[in-house]
Amino acid sequence: MTSLPDRHDRRAEPVPRPAIAWRVSMPRITSAAQFLPYILFCGAILAVPSFVSDPFLLNKFARYLALGLAAAALALSWGYCGILNLGQGVGFGLGAYAMAMHLKLKTSPVHTGSAGLPDFMVWNNLDHLPWFWQPFHSGLFALAAAVLLPALVAALLGWFMFRARIAGVYVAIITLAMLAVTNLVFVDQQAYTGGLNGITDLAWFEMGGVEFDPYSPAFYYLSAGSLAFFLMLGMVFTRSKAGLVLRAIRGGTDRVLFFGYDMASYQCLAFSLSAGMSGVAGMLYAMVLEFASPTFMGVPLSLSMVIWAAVGGRGSLLGATVGAILVNGTQGSLSEAFLNSWQLILGALFILVVVFLPNGLAGLVHNLGARLSGRLRGMAADRAPSALLNRR
Amino acid sequence: MDILLGQLFTGLSIGSVLLLVALGLAIIYGTMGVINLAHGEFVMLGAYATWFLQSTLGLTLLPCLLVVFLMVAAAGWAVERTIVRFLYRRPLDTILATWGIGIMLQQAVRLAAGADLRYVQTPDQLAGSIDLAGVAIPSYRLFILAFSAALLGLTWFVVQRTEFGMKLRAVTQNREMASCYGIDSARIFTLTFAFGSGLAGLAGALIAPIKSVAPDMGTNFVVDAFMVVVVGGVGSLFGTVASAGLIGGGTAGFAFLLNDTLAKALVFLGVVVLVRFRPQGLFAATGRR
Amino acid sequence: MAYLELQGLEVSFDGFKAVNGLDLSIERGELRCLLGANGAGKSTTLDLICGRTQPTGGRILLDGRDITQDPEYRRSRLGVGRKFQVPSVFKELSIRENLEIARSRHPEPWRTLCVFPSRRPSPRVAEVVEIVGLEDALDTQAAHLSHGQTQWLEIAMLLVQDSALILMDEPTAGMTVQETGKTSAIFQRLRGRHTLIVVEHDMGFVREVAETITVLHQGRRLSEGPIQAIENDPKVREAYLGSGGISHA
Repeated sequence: MTSLPDRHDRRAEPVPRPAIAWRVSMPRITSAAQFLPYILFCGAILAVPSFVSDPFLLNKFARYLALGLAAAALALSWGYCGILNLGQGVGFGLGAYAMAMHLKLKTSPVHTGSAGLPDFMVWNNLDHLPWFWQPFHSGLFALAAAVLLPALVAALLGWFMFRARIAGVYVAIITLAMLAVTNLVFVDQQAYTGGLNGITDLAWFEMGGVEFDPYSPAFYYLSAGSLAFFLMLGMVFTRSKAGLVLRAIRGGTDRVLFFGYDMASYQCLAFSLSAGMSGVAGMLYAMVLEFASPTFMGVPLSLSMVIWAAVGGRGSLLGATVGAILVNGTQGSLSEAFLNSWQLILGALFILVVVFLPNGLAGLVHNLGARLSGRLRGMAADRAPSALLNRR
Repeated sequence: MDILLGQLFTGLSIGSVLLLVALGLAIIYGTMGVINLAHGEFVMLGAYATWFLQSTLGLTLLPCLLVVFLMVAAAGWAVERTIVRFLYRRPLDTILATWGIGIMLQQAVRLAAGADLRYVQTPDQLAGSIDLAGVAIPSYRLFILAFSAALLGLTWFVVQRTEFGMKLRAVTQNREMASCYGIDSARIFTLTFAFGSGLAGLAGALIAPIKSVAPDMGTNFVVDAFMVVVVGGVGSLFGTVASAGLIGGGTAGFAFLLNDTLAKALVFLGVVVLVRFRPQGLFAATGRR
Repeated sequence: MAYLELQGLEVSFDGFKAVNGLDLSIERGELRCLLGANGAGKSTTLDLICGRTQPTGGRILLDGRDITQDPEYRRSRLGVGRKFQVPSVFKELSIRENLEIARSRHPEPWRTLCVFPSRRPSPRVAEVVEIVGLEDALDTQAAHLSHGQTQWLEIAMLLVQDSALILMDEPTAGMTVQETGKTSAIFQRLRGRHTLIVVEHDMGFVREVAETITVLHQGRRLSEGPIQAIENDPKVREAYLGSGGISHA
């Protein structure tokens, strides 16, 4: 975010003034400095296995990072482009199922029927593998499907919505309804999706001779590496001119149309990029939990993602990621007894953030930083009278 | 013929429950533009209040209704005063904040009453069923149908025929102008929110005997009710009724042909397509937006 | 054939014909003023040309090409730029970013994805901000600008966009006399290189810049010609009778 609304500034704005006496703007943090927190964060998460060797802890952290990626994906569409996707779980779930299908096919025959058929298919009296399951024997295909399928679905839905200039609340409604539809269909098609139970007892993912045991550093690196990659990709995307156009659209005007930008295709782009990212997040999540279930596409999880992103800061990819990690980390470290009141605290925290801190923790940090640099500049101005104008 | 009649009644029955739940939401969304995702939790509160009154004081369902209405309305009043009123200029954020409220209410009830399913008894007078042209129709379902119609009438009367309703309509159309004419719009909104919440509480009380009462029962209702309101159109009571009937009938029809799950999925898909082509809803009152 | 042709253009809102069989042709490089009382259909005409409103009848030809069915962004790519009556800029963005958006030679997503706006303004942007006097405020958020400054920013954005056809809806509204003078100077520079259609109420300004004036009345063309002819046209006088002649409109 380059310009978070700074209440302090607006209040300090003098009322009467000559036409060209400008509010002297904040020295803009250069783009290199904007990358710095991202680089630090990515470095930090990649360094974790050097300090942590407990496999259960690594597994837990890998899970948080996957959820962090989901929150970052949401921030990309919601914070940067103003598309509040309440159905983030669609992409997340599709990614999870794509991977789960592959991992199910790789399980030892103990869990499968005579013809290598997944157990739930046997229970549902299928006698051969459905055609759309066939390609999932290939790990590469599953990886590609986990990214591309959500992106494609989002592109289609986006095209359907944004061509008709659907925006704001209606996007939230449509995405929420689509989430419900997807969830219901996956629950209903028991023979192909495992129904309410989902796809369970998964094998470990294997690629290039490396086996990604979800309790191993290798898997942790996969999770952290994906998060780092997509954070950087997202950062570059938002810094590009396309990102600028999307921020212009976020303001709620169709003004960009009159400069020749096809608003709908920009929104589709952001929407499907975000869905692709949540597909990867879902894929990692299925690997780490070793199952995929329709709850991944449930309304509560998708709205929880919104909570994480809001707490961390919807306007910052990193903020949303950190928000997800903090919320889940706190939740995970609480004892059973506390877990009950935790939901109360989470709800209250969320309300407070929405009402009083719309930009979340990232906004708070940004404002504190700006205030600090403002004070520093104020001190400098005291020493140099010629810079008097710079004082606010 | 019997099957058709039975289906028709199932549709009506689903529709009347939907209408019951959606009515309060329609009032709140239609007049204040607040998307109240805690609405389902108000329904849940109503159900629990009924269970509580029944299990501790031994009240039957009917005497409970007024008390439940007042209790849940009071809860709505508190929520509006403390949280929702900060968000009138940010409609998208109301979705988020009210979801937070919902989480808290759910957990609070879970802590207070436990996570077990609770059961509320159908009043004895309504326990039987009535034979209608060869189809046995549970009297309680019929009662819900009648009660929804009565509540609808009451709401219509409040909005169209009382001074409060007139002020409410004025505030809905132009808040600033209404304030200039001395209408205390903040108070009107608070009362409206409380009224809508009270209606949700009533819905919960009435649904309690036919569904199991659990802390997370509201989540399902709110999505359904919300679809009803959106399809019906903002600010149109008639639209809400028609769309409750449409969605209820659609769900019953598809469920008969396919199964419950797919029926719901198809109805939601229909809602998506409808919102795409008529975001204002089927029966939007003209003049707003 | 003229550069821009409106043929029998018609639009009705709920039965009300805001524009009713309008014919208009404008030559390349011309500066045309649209006059008319409130509700005469001036802004609607601009809306129809830039695509914000779809006509219910008639055709729009730009450089011989029928653009009646084209969406806004495609018309913009064909060279139609628009300044709105209520200054319309991106309030959340800085002036620099606003101008970067306006620099839209290649507006397709796959091209903008590969562009990373640099801090140093292009020569064109530097020139334009100097013309409108915004050079010291490039990093100011547009929301912090006064009404007049917002007007200037939008004009600057149109200059950067550099469209062949520029539609201006009340460019001098809310400006001081000096600022209006500056605007008319800018218009004199644009004349010839660009085709301009200007809706304006300030008759002083119109006298200064306009060659040909078209007067609209109830969605139709009432009169057209140089300023003196318009001022002496009895039909125009009649249409404006209530408000005491066009000079005071």
